[in-house]
Amino acid sequence: MNEMVKVDRRDAKLALAHIYVAFIALALGGLAGLLQTLVRSGKFELPANISYYTILTTHGVLLGLVLTTFFIIGFQFAAVSRTAGTFSDRVRFWGWVGFWLMTVGTAITAFFILIGQASVLYTFYAPLQAHPGFYLGLTLVVVGSWVSGFAIFAHYARWKKEHPKQVSPLLTFMAVANMILWLVCSLGVAATVLIQLLPWSLGLVDRINVLVSRTLFWYFGHPLVYFWLLPAYMVWYAIVPKIIGGKIFSDSLARLSFILFLFFSIPVGFHHQLMEPGIDPFWKYVQVVLTFMVAIPSLMTAFAMFATFELYGRSKGATGLFGWLRKLPWGDARFFAPFVGMAFFIPAGAGGLVNASHQLDQVVHNTIWITGHFHLTLATTVVLTFFGAAYWLVPHLSGRVMTKAMNRLAIIQTIVWVIGMTFMSGSMHFAGLLGAPRRSAFSTYGNSPQALEWIPYQIAQAVGGTILFIGIILVLIIITNLAFFAPKGETEFPVAEVAEGAERTPLAMENWKLWIGITVALILIAYTIPFIDMIQNAPPGSKGYKLW
Amino acid sequence: MAKEKMKGKATEDSNLKGTLASVFLLGFFLIFTWVSVYYLFLERL
Repeated sequence: MNEMVKVDRRDAKLALAHIYVAFIALALGGLAGLLQTLVRSGKFELPANISYYTILTTHGVLLGLVLTTFFIIGFQFAAVSRTAGTFSDRVRFWGWVGFWLMTVGTAITAFFILIGQASVLYTFYAPLQAHPGFYLGLTLVVVGSWVSGFAIFAHYARWKKEHPKQVSPLLTFMAVANMILWLVCSLGVAATVLIQLLPWSLGLVDRINVLVSRTLFWYFGHPLVYFWLLPAYMVWYAIVPKIIGGKIFSDSLARLSFILFLFFSIPVGFHHQLMEPGIDPFWKYVQVVLTFMVAIPSLMTAFAMFATFELYGRSKGATGLFGWLRKLPWGDARFFAPFVGMAFFIPAGAGGLVNASHQLDQVVHNTIWITGHFHLTLATTVVLTFFGAAYWLVPHLSGRVMTKAMNRLAIIQTIVWVIGMTFMSGSMHFAGLLGAPRRSAFSTYGNSPQALEWIPYQIAQAVGGTILFIGIILVLIIITNLAFFAPKGETEFPVAEVAEGAERTPLAMENWKLWIGITVALILIAYTIPFIDMIQNAPPGSKGYKLW
Repeated sequence: MAKEKMKGKATEDSNLKGTLASVFLLGFFLIFTWVSVYYLFLERL
């Protein structure tokens, strides 16, 4: 019955517009990434005076901020329209307003990066100072995403009103949780941009409190990671079970894990600042403890996924401890790509526990290990799940079907990605343990023996980066085909049902006032005292630097 | 009562030994990685 439910054509257009921008960002940002790895190999120099830091900023902003935010909002619009019903004209109108604000903001930001006025990397750390247009563009992206978030909230509120005392559809619940997370955390980046960075880059104030700006950035920056990850979890919990022919192991467990992410993904930003002076070690410790709490919902997810796969495999007659693995549909790219993403989350999570531990962070901080880490979390786990979702979402929205040839190409794409990322991220991890820095362009540091040790790993990164770029070309071919050239027809938007034996979901799961209250309380506990300390005992502040 | 019935059904049908083994393997891998880097830290003190 579910197979026949389609996203309304007008809502589909809105979702597709977001997805197109996301894949254009992938093309441009991926090219920048390829160039970076080539430069870092020491065998290639950028032509025409193009700065390494310009392409580094382009890569980070386009892939870390634009690809993700556009894909996520497009996907969530489709998921909410599919599970909570077609949008009203008003909701759809505001969805378009959000889309255009984000698109215009992206264009402005990209313009100032490309003309070399904003080579401040995607973290835009002060005291590096960009052109005001860069900050203004980013502000529009964030404001646009808020507008879209409120459009989703409005649609959810209407559904709740029309369905009193009913539990909302799981995917809608998850989209709402993710947008609340986004809204609460992006207040931090909005504050640093509007109160600190913009007036400072306009010349209205001379100096900036660097520690406050970085703290506000990481108040946003860590939950940003979960804003990327939760839509992947939406696919894993609520869609992959349907694709394999199984059921959701537990609806309540899925909702509980999202609520825990809301609690614990925000008051943890200090684990990105463990090496930073000016923050009392006690508060770093508190946030490290909270960071380890956020591992719990991820472990819950791992358990739920294993259980879903095992229950399905056993229902098909699998025997032995791991016999159920053989029953999974390995030839279906809609399953294979997200599954590989899940598998890569195991080393990614292990690396995350290292990063979050104060002493261990001293081994890896500001090394390319960190870059390797987030190329496993974002650029493999999340991105492969998004690709896997796009393989049914794009044809569903465009009214086409994926051919067998395209499915085969998608399987090959996933394998290419695995090979490329194993080379690139693996060598980044090892080079990082040997002290190779992140962010910086190629240098032998005066032929120091330690720096010369890193070069073979940097060449391996270029090999991996090149293979990954082939992967990007393949996925772009597939997506273009699915959007414009594949045969016309009906593609299912898979939404799984809950297993028969699962407990009923309690209504209390949707007590948003309580969940938001706890979230705010945890943030206040983790941040208030150290934040007051940063302002009261602040140094004079820094002037802006343009080092490119 | 309905709850009890459901519980009974779940216990009869589900065999999650593979899941148990998988989460244990996952846990060991996490601990192994953490301890490895911790030793590296101690070595460099």
